[in-house]
Amino acid sequence: MAHSKQVLVVDDSRVSRLMAHQFILSKHADWQVTEAATGEEALQKVATFQPYLILLDVNMPGMGGLAAAEQLRAQCPQTHIFLVTANVQNAIRNRAVELGVGFMEKPITETRIHQLIDSLAA
Amino acid sequence: MVNLTELENDALVEIFNIGVGHAAAAMSEIVNEEVVMSVPSITFLNRTDAAELLGSKKDGERICGVSQHYSGAFATEAILMFPEDKSLEIVRLMVGDSMPLQELTEMEQEAMSEIGNIILNACVGTLANLFGSELHGSLPVYHVGTSTEILSVFGEQGDDVVLMLHIDFVLARHQIHGYVAFVLDLSALHDLKEQVDRYLARVLGQA
Amino acid sequence: MPEVLHRLSLLESIVGAINLGAIVLDENRSIVLWNGWMARHSDWPAATVLGRDFFEVFPDLQHKRIESAITQALRDNFQSLLSQTLHKSPFPLYAPGASEGQERMQQAVAVTPINLPGVPRHCLIQINDVTIAVGREKLLREQTLVLRSQTFSDGLTGVANRRQFDVTLEREMRRAIRTGNPLSLLMIDIDHFKDYNDYYGHQQGDGCLIQVAAELAAMLKRPTDLLARYGGEEFAAILPDTNAQQALQMAEAIRLRTAGLRIPHEKTGDQLRHITVSIGAATKHPDQPLEIAALIGAADRALYLSKRSGRNRVTAQPA
Repeated sequence: MAHSKQVLVVDDSRVSRLMAHQFILSKHADWQVTEAATGEEALQKVATFQPYLILLDVNMPGMGGLAAAEQLRAQCPQTHIFLVTANVQNAIRNRAVELGVGFMEKPITETRIHQLIDSLAA
Repeated sequence: MVNLTELENDALVEIFNIGVGHAAAAMSEIVNEEVVMSVPSITFLNRTDAAELLGSKKDGERICGVSQHYSGAFATEAILMFPEDKSLEIVRLMVGDSMPLQELTEMEQEAMSEIGNIILNACVGTLANLFGSELHGSLPVYHVGTSTEILSVFGEQGDDVVLMLHIDFVLARHQIHGYVAFVLDLSALHDLKEQVDRYLARVLGQA
Repeated sequence: MPEVLHRLSLLESIVGAINLGAIVLDENRSIVLWNGWMARHSDWPAATVLGRDFFEVFPDLQHKRIESAITQALRDNFQSLLSQTLHKSPFPLYAPGASEGQERMQQAVAVTPINLPGVPRHCLIQINDVTIAVGREKLLREQTLVLRSQTFSDGLTGVANRRQFDVTLEREMRRAIRTGNPLSLLMIDIDHFKDYNDYYGHQQGDGCLIQVAAELAAMLKRPTDLLARYGGEEFAAILPDTNAQQALQMAEAIRLRTAGLRIPHEKTGDQLRHITVSIGAATKHPDQPLEIAALIGAADRALYLSKRSGRNRVTAQPA
């Protein structure tokens, strides 16, 4: 049986976090999901552990997803990091590639989360 | 006046953010530049307070509005609004025109109508899709006038509520603030709240 | 003929006769209607496109605005508008009988859901030829530009612009020569204006220019005096029938009045912390032969000296 994995979900919307949290557990009930509401909070959390996967909302007040992605990428070199956004355009695609992170489209659905998790195992 | 729980409010803000995110992606594709849009907050107001919120401190400043009517699962008049000079600025940014500012011409009104069409359809469309609602939307109509005039173009209903979205629009380092207003009568407001609750119950597995 | 068939052929004739393009797609985005107008302006008869996937016929339109409009019509029951300003010519359509290499017609497009009983939703695409309207609009704008360039006021501050300055200085110089009166020129430049713009932003920079210009204009009361915006943050004052001493007095009054406005400026790099001006003054004396360029040159030199000696001061230079 595969190791239980740790996921960090970062989004200023509580509903969004709860949904992602739920959809992850519906695929792997034994995984541990931690939530953060801001980029700053996310950085604090990864000081104590390196998650397997980070889902990072782009549109957040304060630090914002892109700035957080850059720092998280530096602090967690082995972690799968995915930007999550409804605004999928070339500028953000290029930025994601530059940062060495992936991206996932909003709205967050169970299908999308499960597909993303499957793609990591591959 | 309207009591939404924190979770209901959060859900609506998130849904509208997804909507304007899609709209920004569509506009970015048209103009071939980075476009970012977000909804930092929403407020429920009566018509008078809504007009006051939009009304400017400068005398004679006009508002440009693009409205669309939606009916079906719930009925609402949706209006995208910017101060007149900001509206012109957006159109000029989208068209890539470098001419000095002057009166909005008919062609630019048409461009603003499409921008309204994109943003309103994206907001309401996201709502409708996530709620599983059947709706029908009209073509955009362009208006210019004071905030009171624009909000009352669709007739006055004493107990109408205005759901006001604050919109941040960023293109080519220009940051523009505008609004989307949804005019709802009490029955539509009730329908909306019900839909939000049903949505939350479905996605969060709560009764 | 039965009523239904009669009505059907009436509607078909209408669709064939209307002066706009009509394309109907079914729920799979296949073309099920392609009217006469479309055939005439695209050079594709209906038979060549009916039954085909829309994006197979128009591969360039994939992932563009019209694709999301079609999706929103079929899936969400929403109508969409593609304005001619944002999308000049999405479809490859031309004036009938157009030769090779001719430009596409300019189009305004509307996408509308069509709901029929017992059948999945269809989508109607309407295309209007707006080439003439766009051409008219372009002409109007060009005419406005020409008109604009013929005016004499500075758009931002409302004082005279450079063109009027040049015209007026020439006229006043000729008059000074003819009447034997002195003619003075002041060059007025706002100190540390670039720093002001950088620090407070361009909108506030514009506001500062407007305020200073208004103050200067109010001080030049004689009908023959002229205040003009000479450059970005530079103004010029033409003072006919004014000798060197009077010019210096006026310049000093201007300097004091501008400083008296106390417009805050955090970045002056000195103790002052408000907006000031440096002024250069030059005079053509009666019966002194002088070219306009030399008068301007002298005023410029004087301005330069004001700046070099610490700003917020007035200097006069012999022409």
